[in-house]
Amino acid sequence: MKDFQLAWRNLWRNKRRTLITAASVFFAVFFALVMRSFQLGAYDRLFKNVIESYTGYLQFQNRDYLDDPVLDNSFEVDKNFFDLAAGDPNVKSVVPRLESFALCAAGSKTQGVIVMGIDPPGEDEVSGIKQRLVRYRLTPKAINGLKNEPIPDRTKRLMDVFKNESYASEGRLMLDLGISEEDSSAILPIIRQHASFTNGYLTSGDKTYVVIGNGLSVYLKAGVGDTIVLMGQGYHGTTAADKYIVSGIVKLPAPDIDNIIVYMPIDAARELYAAPGMATSAVIRLKNNSDEAILQTAERLNKIVPEPMAIKTWQEMNALLVNQMDADNKSGMIMIGILYLVIAFGVFGTILMMMAERRREFGMLVSVGMQKWKLAKIVSLEMLFIGFLGVCAGIIASLPVVFYGNFHPLRFTGEMARMYEDYGFEPVMPTMLPDTFYLWQSVVVFIILSVAIVFSIRKILKINVITALRA
Amino acid sequence: MIIEIAWKNVWRNKTRSLVVITAMAIGVFAGVFTMAAINSSVVQRIDSAVNEELSHIQVNNKDFRSSSDIQNIISDPSSVFSVCEKTSGVVATTGRIIVRGIASTSAKSTGVEINGIDVEKEKKIFKLSDKLIQGTGSYFGSDTKFNTVFIGEKLAKELNIIRYILTPEAISKIEAEGVPSAVITNLEPLSGQRFISDKKFSKAFENLLTKADRQKYSMIIKEAAWSYRPGSKIILSFLDIDSNQTGAAFRVCGIFRTNNDMFEGMSVFVPVNELRTLTGMGENRFHRIIAKIEDNDLTDKITSEIRTALPGLEVLSWKEIQPDLAMMADMMQQIYAIFMVIILAALAFGIVNTMLMAVLERTRELGMLAAIGMNRKKIFSMIMFESIFLSIVGGIAGMAVAEAVIAVTAKNGINLMKYSEGMEAFGYSAHLYPTIEPQFFITTTILIVITGIISSIYPARKALKLNPVEAIRTE
Repeated sequence: MKDFQLAWRNLWRNKRRTLITAASVFFAVFFALVMRSFQLGAYDRLFKNVIESYTGYLQFQNRDYLDDPVLDNSFEVDKNFFDLAAGDPNVKSVVPRLESFALCAAGSKTQGVIVMGIDPPGEDEVSGIKQRLVRYRLTPKAINGLKNEPIPDRTKRLMDVFKNESYASEGRLMLDLGISEEDSSAILPIIRQHASFTNGYLTSGDKTYVVIGNGLSVYLKAGVGDTIVLMGQGYHGTTAADKYIVSGIVKLPAPDIDNIIVYMPIDAARELYAAPGMATSAVIRLKNNSDEAILQTAERLNKIVPEPMAIKTWQEMNALLVNQMDADNKSGMIMIGILYLVIAFGVFGTILMMMAERRREFGMLVSVGMQKWKLAKIVSLEMLFIGFLGVCAGIIASLPVVFYGNFHPLRFTGEMARMYEDYGFEPVMPTMLPDTFYLWQSVVVFIILSVAIVFSIRKILKINVITALRA
Repeated sequence: MIIEIAWKNVWRNKTRSLVVITAMAIGVFAGVFTMAAINSSVVQRIDSAVNEELSHIQVNNKDFRSSSDIQNIISDPSSVFSVCEKTSGVVATTGRIIVRGIASTSAKSTGVEINGIDVEKEKKIFKLSDKLIQGTGSYFGSDTKFNTVFIGEKLAKELNIIRYILTPEAISKIEAEGVPSAVITNLEPLSGQRFISDKKFSKAFENLLTKADRQKYSMIIKEAAWSYRPGSKIILSFLDIDSNQTGAAFRVCGIFRTNNDMFEGMSVFVPVNELRTLTGMGENRFHRIIAKIEDNDLTDKITSEIRTALPGLEVLSWKEIQPDLAMMADMMQQIYAIFMVIILAALAFGIVNTMLMAVLERTRELGMLAAIGMNRKKIFSMIMFESIFLSIVGGIAGMAVAEAVIAVTAKNGINLMKYSEGMEAFGYSAHLYPTIEPQFFITTTILIVITGIISSIYPARKALKLNPVEAIRTE
């Protein structure tokens, strides 16, 4: 206890030095935590977006489907098994899909498309597809109408730039047309009046209507009410061909899907492809989607899943994205590594100076009978205190930023926002709430300190009393 | 005079100064080098976008990009050519016919963009002919009576015309790459077998090798087993000028490899005359006219010149075609500045500490100087210069080391093979050749000097607050 007291008092003998050293540790910890929190938060959101809007955390698939996604690698939907799986304590529901390719023609245009047979209400719960139905479209007629309305000139100019653009959300519309939050209540009703777009979703069991992507609709020049023809290869090489009426248009954030997607009720797709009762995948909706719970659920389901089906996790289904995030994650870690390297030198320099400055004092203490190892202990304690002070201050200072950022994520605007959306990402950057990464920062600081401590203990043990006293 | 004294003062306590200088050097080195590596990926991406995919300026019919209908041709191509060629700075031009279609083999089919190109003229604009994979043929070199097509590796893999076979030659190639013989013995059961896709091949050796070996050697093994039979045929089908379905078999004359999976998987190139015959498009009809300019920095200026000269057409620079890329390029400076400021702020703590120590240690000396009439301004600037010297010496050392390391690594590059799949999907190379523009060094130097000045303020104020009478008496 005496040692603690002595070390603590020593610290405050030279307040300035203590505070500056602690401040440099604080600075590193604070920045590392905030940077890391933003980075991890961004990944988390990104994965959640992709997973929750498309693949889901777990899927049932034919075991070869992931490597070779063709219709022949599908499986038969066994109602009893699906009910059994849905009975798992962590499973909300199981939503089947039947996905394949086809050529899609309307008028004189043809395009290769993905046909996705879905369970309309179930799919909406998985991916919120109803939210993506186009609500506004800036047709030339709408723009002409709007030009005579009392709206800002800037918006009118921007309307020409975004002519024929479709919008599923008011947020993006406001962003593109340069409408600020304050003006929105005045301008949006006018825009709604001119540019609203009516749309219909799918109903289960119906076999005449389809919903198509906005990009596809523009390319084919096929709007709501128009007929499209689908032609492709069905199950086991049969010919698949039929005609459908477009009931709605969705605007998906990823253009490479938006340009080629056709949704229809799964029974209609089964009929088209002559694959009665089949599915290529089934999204398993979970109640609790923490890593732990996903793993456990996958294990439980793996025990009961019959051949030829298998459980696929989101990491397997999104291998490319996992790889990309991994690369980005490493680059973030390198930056933090550099920051800590620099701080390590700062801390080391301060300790070097402290040792030089206190040589005489140490010499005196040893000469009046202080044991060297005890002295070393006190000096080590001093350094640990400094480190502790810096880490604590850094953590405390980071908390408000991290918590605020989690509830009010950074929202990109302008060109940056558009770039994010074009890549299919939401233009926000939330932070990640404290997690194990907080622990790691403290561990790193104490590794740096222990190097400094080893160095100073060696110095103290080597003290030559005579020369030290003369210093 | 003051500067000289300050310089000498720095070297009075060598160890102490050197610790700070080393810290500075390491911080600056790490910052500059990391940025050079990141910068290189952007520079390489722009380079391949301009030299392989887009060139600098493209002229299209106004509706072509939104609907890419075969009917949307440029109505008067000769005037476009003459406008482009007359504009100063333009070094080469060429025209393309572009149709969307489907490429298929007996195994698979996929959607592609078929580019009808003037082979000779394209060579002056694009470096795609350099991207040919050795042993797969040539860039439209062979003289055959068949239709020929130049395709990307990604598409070739998708269409299953690239296979993986562990032939004896492949095994000796793996051996030559320095893979241990134990690993090769483990691969033995696969020798002679044929795998039609990357994934099937990976799966086959998944159980034969340990995880560590797989990570280390799978790229080498795949590269060696990579096999292609020259002269494979693919079917291209598309609509002709009258919207009738048409198509033909094309012999693959060569396969190219870039860092952009999307481009590799989407674009196929055929001589323009072959496509003209098949689509029924007349002579001198183009969908797109491409211009290469001398200096990339003049892109915006030349684009707007051509745009005013061609009012009825869509004239776009690569920056407008790929705005995200242009933004990345513009943002590099800012990202770099923010990153460097954080590092330098961390370093500033070290400098403040050292300078404070230097001031307190010299209390008596500073008091003496003040007592014999050195004015406050001079004391202040002396301390400030000491601090600046500390930072600038470390900074210059750091930049020099960084420049040297950049020069060395730029030769062989840094290969982040593990991430190639993810990065190439976005068109970024995983093989980095660090490079940095000279202006990065200017920015860094300015930031370093500012760091020196800012971190001297507190210690210098401390020095000014000394009371000469008391200061002289301290020990």
